[in-house]
Amino acid sequence: MSGTPTRGETLVVIPAYNEERHIGDIVGGVRAALPAADVLVIDDGSRDRTRFVARAAGARVVSHVFNLGYGAALQTGYKRADRDGYAYVVQLDADGQHPPAALPRLLEPLRAGAAEVVIGSRFVAASAYRMGTTRTLGRRLLGRLLVLLGGPHVADPTSGLQALARPAFRSCCGEFYPTDFPDIDVLLFLHRQGLRIAEVPVEMAPSPPGKVALHGGLRDVYYMYKMLLSTFRSRLGPGRGPARRALAPQSHEEVPS
Amino acid sequence: MNPSPLDLDTLRRLAIEQPAAGVTRLLALAVSATFLLAVLDLVRRGRLKEEYTPIWVVVATGLMVSAVWFDGVRLITRAVGAWTPSSTLFFLGLMFLLVLCLNYAVRLSGISGRVTVLTQEVSLLREELGRLRENGGPGDAAAGLERT
Repeated sequence: MSGTPTRGETLVVIPAYNEERHIGDIVGGVRAALPAADVLVIDDGSRDRTRFVARAAGARVVSHVFNLGYGAALQTGYKRADRDGYAYVVQLDADGQHPPAALPRLLEPLRAGAAEVVIGSRFVAASAYRMGTTRTLGRRLLGRLLVLLGGPHVADPTSGLQALARPAFRSCCGEFYPTDFPDIDVLLFLHRQGLRIAEVPVEMAPSPPGKVALHGGLRDVYYMYKMLLSTFRSRLGPGRGPARRALAPQSHEEVPS
Repeated sequence: MNPSPLDLDTLRRLAIEQPAAGVTRLLALAVSATFLLAVLDLVRRGRLKEEYTPIWVVVATGLMVSAVWFDGVRLITRAVGAWTPSSTLFFLGLMFLLVLCLNYAVRLSGISGRVTVLTQEVSLLREELGRLRENGGPGDAAAGLERT
């Protein structure tokens, strides 16, 4: 599936929670960058006007009746893409950190058949992006752990800017998928499914001020703890199998859990 | 006349065989019987599901049996190497609470996963209904759902 993008081929999934200030611009940016793609905003139980702003900007909107978490919102997008028969999913955050202009480059390795998962990476090329000391340490630790457990070398394993081919996002529709923050546990799972992971350099903006960050203080400790357990589960738990073979569209009832 | 020195084994035997106060046993019997009746009443009023009752019925029955047949507690005390029946009861109670907490954490994890899946399904269906309405499909119901 290479060449010109066709309508109905790519679904851009944007999880959003109380992002009425940014979501309109993000949706507009995505539509300009990928005119043939459909844009789906997952409104994760927002208490503001996120869903209305997104809809007015031209996106389809799926609204959770209450907040489920970033991972669950992404998974809802994967399920939508699976059921509607999309070939690719591109995901980006709604806070403006991920540049929509980078999306076409993320799709290139997928269309060329070179990978099933493409990560928009801040660290495979020289970048102006600066990460705090604790987060840098955590990122490096997670990257090392991923390799130690038999996964691929990934320079930016915590990046939420990703593109997934159908076998990859279908594999993420099962029960194993974390509802809070999918990270190296998911990358390891996908790698063990036989899916190929690639990175594409992307220049990202810093997180906007005032945004509630996952990282900081005890949250870092909990995050690392949770990620270790979750990765342990991905390494030893059920769900192994060659998902790359499942290239043909399948119904959602057959999704492995 | 010098009192004979007590060795540890004798001391432990005396501690285990100390008579249980009748009032304590009566109190234990009354509390466990009340507990059992409370469990049955919760089921009768529909506030406790039947599948959650076996553990509490077993606990209440066990308490009643231990109040009536205190030698059973002494037997367990000797078996686990404890010194007094009361410490045995505390130990068993603590173990029970630990297992119970773990059991409920497991159940909670399962329910949490189901809630996530259900919420996702509802959200996806609402979006599908909205699209059907826009395409001239089932109107009123979808419109109502979409507006909520």
